[in-house]
Amino acid sequence: MKAIFISFNQALYDQIIDLMDELGIRGFTCWETVTGRGSSTGEPHYGTHAWPTLNSAILTFVDETVAPLFLDRLKQMDEASQMQGLKAFCWGGVTDPF
Amino acid sequence: MSLYKSAVGRPVTTMLVFVAVAILGLFSWSRLPVDLLPEIETNAIMVMTTYRGASAADIETNVTRPLENILNGVSDLKHVSSSSKENISIITLEFEYGIDIDVATNDVRDKLDMVVSALPDEADTPIIFKFGTDDIPIMLLSVSAKESMAGLYKILDDNVATPLARVKGVGTVSISGIPEREIQVYCDPLKLEAYGLTIEGIAQVIAAENRNVPAGSFDIGSESYSLRVQKEFTAADEMLGLVVGSADGAPVYLRDVATVTDTREERAQEVYTNREVGGMIMIQKQSGANSVEIARKVEEMLPKIEKNLPSDIKIGTIVNTSDNILNTIDSLTETISITFAVVMLVVFVFLGRWRATFVVVLTIPISLLSALIYLLVSGNTLNIISMSALSIAIGMVVDNAIVVLENITTHIERGSRPKQAAVFATNEVAISVIASTLTTVAVFLPLTMITGMAGILFKQLGWMVTIILTVSTVAAITLTPMLCSQMLRLDAKSSRLHRIIFTPIERALDALNNGYARLLGWGYRHRAVVVTGAVVLFLGVVMGVGRMLKTEYFPTQDNARISITVKLPAGTRQEITRDLALRINDTLTAHYPEIKVINFSEGQADTDNALSSMQDNGTYLISFNISLVSVEERDRGLTVIGDLMRKDLDKFPEIRTYQVVEGGMSGGTGGQSVVDIEIYGYDLASTDRLAADVAARMSQVEGCTQVNISRDEYAPEYQVDFDREKLARSGLNVSTAASYLRNRINGSVASYYREDGDEYDIRVRYARRFRESVEDIENITIYNGRGDGIKVKDLGRVVETFTPPTIERKDRERIITVSCVVGHDAAMSDILAEAGKVMEQVEIPSGVTWQFGGTFEDQQETFADLFTLMALIVILVFIIMAAQFESFTYPFVIMFSIPFALVGVILGLVATGTPMGVMALLGILMLVGIVVNNGIVLVDYTNLCRERGMGVREAVVTAGRSRLRPVLMTTLTTVIGMIPLAIDKGEGSEMWRSMGLTVACGLSFSTLVTLVLVPILYSLMADFGERRKARRAERAARKALSV
Repeated sequence: MKAIFISFNQALYDQIIDLMDELGIRGFTCWETVTGRGSSTGEPHYGTHAWPTLNSAILTFVDETVAPLFLDRLKQMDEASQMQGLKAFCWGGVTDPF
Repeated sequence: MSLYKSAVGRPVTTMLVFVAVAILGLFSWSRLPVDLLPEIETNAIMVMTTYRGASAADIETNVTRPLENILNGVSDLKHVSSSSKENISIITLEFEYGIDIDVATNDVRDKLDMVVSALPDEADTPIIFKFGTDDIPIMLLSVSAKESMAGLYKILDDNVATPLARVKGVGTVSISGIPEREIQVYCDPLKLEAYGLTIEGIAQVIAAENRNVPAGSFDIGSESYSLRVQKEFTAADEMLGLVVGSADGAPVYLRDVATVTDTREERAQEVYTNREVGGMIMIQKQSGANSVEIARKVEEMLPKIEKNLPSDIKIGTIVNTSDNILNTIDSLTETISITFAVVMLVVFVFLGRWRATFVVVLTIPISLLSALIYLLVSGNTLNIISMSALSIAIGMVVDNAIVVLENITTHIERGSRPKQAAVFATNEVAISVIASTLTTVAVFLPLTMITGMAGILFKQLGWMVTIILTVSTVAAITLTPMLCSQMLRLDAKSSRLHRIIFTPIERALDALNNGYARLLGWGYRHRAVVVTGAVVLFLGVVMGVGRMLKTEYFPTQDNARISITVKLPAGTRQEITRDLALRINDTLTAHYPEIKVINFSEGQADTDNALSSMQDNGTYLISFNISLVSVEERDRGLTVIGDLMRKDLDKFPEIRTYQVVEGGMSGGTGGQSVVDIEIYGYDLASTDRLAADVAARMSQVEGCTQVNISRDEYAPEYQVDFDREKLARSGLNVSTAASYLRNRINGSVASYYREDGDEYDIRVRYARRFRESVEDIENITIYNGRGDGIKVKDLGRVVETFTPPTIERKDRERIITVSCVVGHDAAMSDILAEAGKVMEQVEIPSGVTWQFGGTFEDQQETFADLFTLMALIVILVFIIMAAQFESFTYPFVIMFSIPFALVGVILGLVATGTPMGVMALLGILMLVGIVVNNGIVLVDYTNLCRERGMGVREAVVTAGRSRLRPVLMTTLTTVIGMIPLAIDKGEGSEMWRSMGLTVACGLSFSTLVTLVLVPILYSLMADFGERRKARRAERAARKALSV
């Protein structure tokens, strides 16, 4: 299992859920509003007057075989709309407790 | 957040909610009655007291003054004015607008009860009348007839007046110009004297003979019969055979001493319509009834009525006030459609996409229709004010939707799905959309709170615009995102045609953006120049051009009606008056092809005709009613024609005075503009002289086309001055002698001739040729109790004298008013200034004071109300902005756009020669709320740029470049929305033209200045703030270091 943490502009929520459905990823945890800013480029998402956009965050644990494809598709999504902001982090070796 | 989210998430519900609003709105539209103005409740009460036999001066001292003194204590009273003439005192109490007239009436009644006992014993109990605009006739019909002329009155009364009076809402229907049938018994005084007969004796005989008497019932055998004497005359000729006396044992028949004619009353008003003699039917509505509705029903009924009339009787329309109302509303509807189309075009040009344009423009009908629901629910009408409110709002309601749509588009372009973009983008701008709506609502909501005339007029406007803006804001944050989520697509595809049209537009807009950014950069470097320039511009225009600004109350509305009253020297014979009237009629018809119907009446109305006797009438008076073709079908305006008519009337030397009233009424909203110089003073002679002097000087003033003096001249009359001693010696007294005179000249109504259930007077009097000279009067024989005949000349003298005119008073002082009518090429302020100079030049006798009244007084009151309101609005707008920015400085900077709106207004009004009236002032009030919106957008975005880390200069320029387009777009929709109002030439358009012009000029000029001045002032303030912050930080650092 791999843990994937996606922090993204709220507006991309539907697209990501659609993608997960497509790839058969069922389980996830979502924080609907979180704030933050990207490491290098892009606008901050603070939900303030100056930076009104907000992020959501999804934490999901996926099968090791699906993970690369998922990350790849997320990258494509980000590149399609650079301005929105989407970032995914992945770390491996998570064991399923059940 | 939840509101837009649920709106986007539930498109069907959202859609249907607004569809429901639209359907209710359409329903209201179909049900709403139409009227010219919002209902203005009457604000006047009239107290009429008769005191027979008293002269004007006696009436004034004994009746009017005691009544005035007590009535002055009634609350909410604005003015007490009175007129005291022979036999009658009329006091008019004018109240503040908007008071409950019923409460005031009760108050007046209580006060009257207190004073009645102090009045002279002979005086009748005072009668209270309420009257208002409702008493103005809504329709005048003309009647012409040939063969049926003789019995016309009865035909009209039975077949026209009675059915029309049954129409719901019709108050009274009165017939004038048609003399009523009367049986005249014309006696020859010489023959009467020869047979020893008198008029009184003949009248008694006629009364005694013209009887039906039931004589009881009696039984014959088994039957019971009633017994009657049935000897009422069945024909007028029957009377000729009456025995009225005897001479030498032979009976004297009436035919021996008199002629009997079944004819009409001698003195009557004559009415000519389009030079044809005929009658006039006047229809007045009940208080609160709808004129348009009544006129429509009357027009529906007329063809049916005409079918029942003899074929030679024709009924036409002289004046139909509903025509003007309908045309006015039609022209406003047209203006609204044009505005709608133009605003749609502007939105399309800026957005460049049909779908986006549709989404934005859809808010217009929905918000406008919602206001119609309010109108129906609150029992209002579609009138000039409510329709103008719709027109004003069109350009403003799209602003919010545009802001929302722009932001959604940006989000979609960044790659959001439409549905998500709609929710988040709306969330981002919702607060600023609501804030900018609030600044505008801050202007319109207080309009609902003012009192007086302006309050009545602008209450609807205030509510409607508030409702429209609120609904548009709700629609902008629910319907617009929903529609965007459903309709907007991120498609780069565009047709070739689209590219051909929009590529140059895009390029031009980009160039504009860059040019503006450069201008801001330059301005930032030369801040001192910009600020000084702005101050110089403001002071220059306000001090320089501002002096040329003229003022007025309301513009005279071109309702295609003119009424003229012509007075010949008092006592002119009716024949001469008629001849002059016909000549004036011919002159006017020849000179003015615009005349549709010209009608005049002259002559003394019968005393029985209550309506006519209320109005001024007499054998020397002519009153014209002229209807012109609609303003759209002629080149000359109403006031121009009015002025030319005055010039024509000047050419008739026999005319003593005349009064041409454009629009059919003077003063008020839309009536003729008049400057009244009120001269107060007790002495009639000295105030007369002063008034004449002032009037003579004022008539020389350019732009003042007509001057009238309220106090009439002394009218000539004959008085029989009986010598009491001679009377007593002959066994007579004054009342007996006077009644003899009256019965011979005016006639004695002996009895009534009955036919078909109607009664006609049988009048016995001297034949006409025996009462045509002073000698005839002197030769009248009066009989005393012993039966001796004595001539009037043996009892007294017949002398020619003058009756003093009506004594008018206002606020308990004698008053004489010099009314100066403002001509078509002048404004009220011109005439006021000239009148002020004239009053300085003339010598004012001691004890005499003067002041301006009339339209000027109304103007001053309304202006004062509106200026107070403006102060209130400015404060409210400031509060809203301060709350939004959480700062005092930024709202202050934005407030600088207001004075420049004023500069634009002054320039616009002066350039077009439009005087500043109430409507223009209303435009300025609206500007206060509108012009700050541009500043808000700019400052808000500049703040945002600075928060994002830009320096002041960079932020100012970036914000300017980025916000130029939305600012221009919202401004253009509002300005262009006003232009159809400003240039409309349709019927009734005078009313809103100055308002449209004010908003269009003020907003465009202010926007141009704001775009430069506000960012520059902002940068000054911000730099100052930054420096202060830096100094503070430095001080803190130093302190920390020293510690």
